[in-house]
Amino acid sequence: MKQWMQELFTYRVCVLIRKEFAQIWRNRRLAISLIIMPILQLSLFGYVLSPTVSNLRLGVVDDSKSPESRELIATLSESKSFRVASYYLSPDQLGDAISRNNLDAGIVIPYAYARNLQRGRPVTVQFLLNAMNANTATISRAYAKGVIQVYNQGLVQGGLHANFQEIAAPDINHRGQVSFQPAFLYNPGLISSWFIVTGIFGLLLILNGSIIAAAAMVRERAVGTLEQLLMSPASASEIIIAKIASLFSVQCLMVLCAIAVMKTVFHVPSHGSLLLLMCGAALCILSGISIGTVIATFTKSSQQAQLTSFFVNPPLASLSGALMPVEAMPHWMQPLTRLNPIFHFSVIARGTLIKGSGIGTLWPHLLALLVFTLILVSLSVWRLRKQLK
Amino acid sequence: MRRILAQMRKELTQILRDRLALALALVLPLIQFMLMGNSVSLNVNNLPIIVQDLDNSIASHQFIDAFRASITFHVIPWPVDKQPEQALKFNAARAALVIPTHFGRDMARGIYSPIQLLVDGSDSNTARLIFGYASEITWAYNQRTAGLTHPDPVQTAIRLWYNPGRSSKKFYGPGIFVLAISMFPPLLAALAMAGEGEQKTILQVYVSNISAHEFLLGKIFAFMIVALSECLLLLIVLFTYVGLRLVGDPSPFIVATVLYLFCVAAFGTMVGAVIPNQSAALQAVALGGYLLVFLLSGLIFPIENIPIGLRWLSNFIWGRYYIEIVRDAMLQGGGWPAIGHKVLIIGVIGAFFFVMAWRKMRRMQLKA
Repeated sequence: MKQWMQELFTYRVCVLIRKEFAQIWRNRRLAISLIIMPILQLSLFGYVLSPTVSNLRLGVVDDSKSPESRELIATLSESKSFRVASYYLSPDQLGDAISRNNLDAGIVIPYAYARNLQRGRPVTVQFLLNAMNANTATISRAYAKGVIQVYNQGLVQGGLHANFQEIAAPDINHRGQVSFQPAFLYNPGLISSWFIVTGIFGLLLILNGSIIAAAAMVRERAVGTLEQLLMSPASASEIIIAKIASLFSVQCLMVLCAIAVMKTVFHVPSHGSLLLLMCGAALCILSGISIGTVIATFTKSSQQAQLTSFFVNPPLASLSGALMPVEAMPHWMQPLTRLNPIFHFSVIARGTLIKGSGIGTLWPHLLALLVFTLILVSLSVWRLRKQLK
Repeated sequence: MRRILAQMRKELTQILRDRLALALALVLPLIQFMLMGNSVSLNVNNLPIIVQDLDNSIASHQFIDAFRASITFHVIPWPVDKQPEQALKFNAARAALVIPTHFGRDMARGIYSPIQLLVDGSDSNTARLIFGYASEITWAYNQRTAGLTHPDPVQTAIRLWYNPGRSSKKFYGPGIFVLAISMFPPLLAALAMAGEGEQKTILQVYVSNISAHEFLLGKIFAFMIVALSECLLLLIVLFTYVGLRLVGDPSPFIVATVLYLFCVAAFGTMVGAVIPNQSAALQAVALGGYLLVFLLSGLIFPIENIPIGLRWLSNFIWGRYYIEIVRDAMLQGGGWPAIGHKVLIIGVIGAFFFVMAWRKMRRMQLKA
């Protein structure tokens, strides 16, 4: 008897799943937004959001007009960070150009520059930076200091100004210097798209997943076929299982596409286990579907569901650390990210793909994701069952 | 003119009746502004960094103290017998500083002693910041230990203009303000316009004696009023919470704001007129008003970083010009000579949206 019940159960669910698939397949817009949109968004975000600081437009006021000053300008523009845009006659003109946004930075070399250097006297050059963009300003400031430091070392050690050392620094009590040797692990080329793409991956899974699920769930009610489903012998849980299973499997396809894009277009490495990533992605999809389902149970039309998602998605996206480092948020906000499945998934994605971490280091995030998924799925099933009765 | 005003009144009454729309118009932009204003930032401080001191001498302690003194880093001691890479893998730290044995002896002997800094490169921008800050600290330490006997020949006096505190909020605040203005008013306008098409009330408009431009202007002005109230609310937040002020001549900013409100309201109305289906219109506005402005207007990262193949697109993004105007008005104060042409471009794009909506409406009116 029990055996028979079970067979019937699976058979009915199978039929319902087939029905759901047929519906998804027939609705071209849904199929497109499931497969094409994520790929498009992933590549667009990956290409467009790039924090590299390079080719800053540098304006020069060279009052010294000497080989020494030209050498300094050449050293600055040799690096990829700065590019000499134009020369100005006075610091005022330079300031005007910066305020008009024609320049990002400016250097003012004083009249006595060469003379002071030849006499072994320290000389100060002024470096103006448009610090409106705080991030660019911080990085370019470090670049400028670094370049001038290298230039200084060249001056002290030899070449054109070997005499500087003897005049300026008669070695009395010479202390050693710290030489700084940085190494960038996991991403030695500092390719910025790796960070963005792995973050967007999680955002897509949850946000797109929830919007699509909400649309799919609400449609049945908006069109009025929900009554027909309820009159069929299928129970509420069978209907729910069929709905979630069909959306889940289509989104798994999306995950594979997204991973393929990350590999082929952005060359994100995969140092860790893909299985772990897939587990995280599966949990993420389930939470996304559940969020969408909960939204759908509160609304009556697809347009209302979309509007409601405007209230849910921005907090999820902002508090995820997917695009920006969590440490840049204010302190009171940082713990809130722990309540966000996107945050945990982005840690898992970055860990498995870029850092090559395994389950040993990532288990807290996987566990958190599992807990969120369980809570969200049971919430959505509860809401749906209440509605179907 | 009378008909424009009547149409405007009808539109405003409809908005006031719809609670969801009202919440969308006034509360959501504020919520979004607070959320993004706080979370969109690249300025990191208190980054966890582990220090593995293999030397444990006075010199190495002094060096570590230099790191401890900075607000950027938060030093976590790390046992000598554990691999520093472990901390990076466990996300316990963003970087690891390894001080070799003989560090103190090398310093005393006056030779270069290498210090290794391992940086987690998976977040490339933060890695670059860490590198920059750490090298500045090292440089300052070297300066101090060298004393007056060893000055650098060329010294730099770096002046940071317009945002000397390098506050991320002051840079991103104007951008997020523009993003909210570009998103919600056109959303409401598109919903209202597409709603007319969906519920077929547009047919009543076709048979009434109101002409296409009067109808559209009435709608656009109504949503400009909504946008203006939103704009004022957000400006209050910008002035009080973020601490920005209008610097220099405010007239270009005021003119640009009025034109931009017209532009976004016209965009929403155009989308609603072209796509008479509310949920499709919604998606179109989300794409145009949100995604494109977010990605292609230089809101987070400079436009110059976008690959050339996509960069030309940003010339058509209306939000881009307004973001530049707001930043100029609140940080730089360049005035008309710096941003005059951008004000003009916003006007042109707004007029384009209006003409597109008008053409669509007029064609329909002839058909009906």
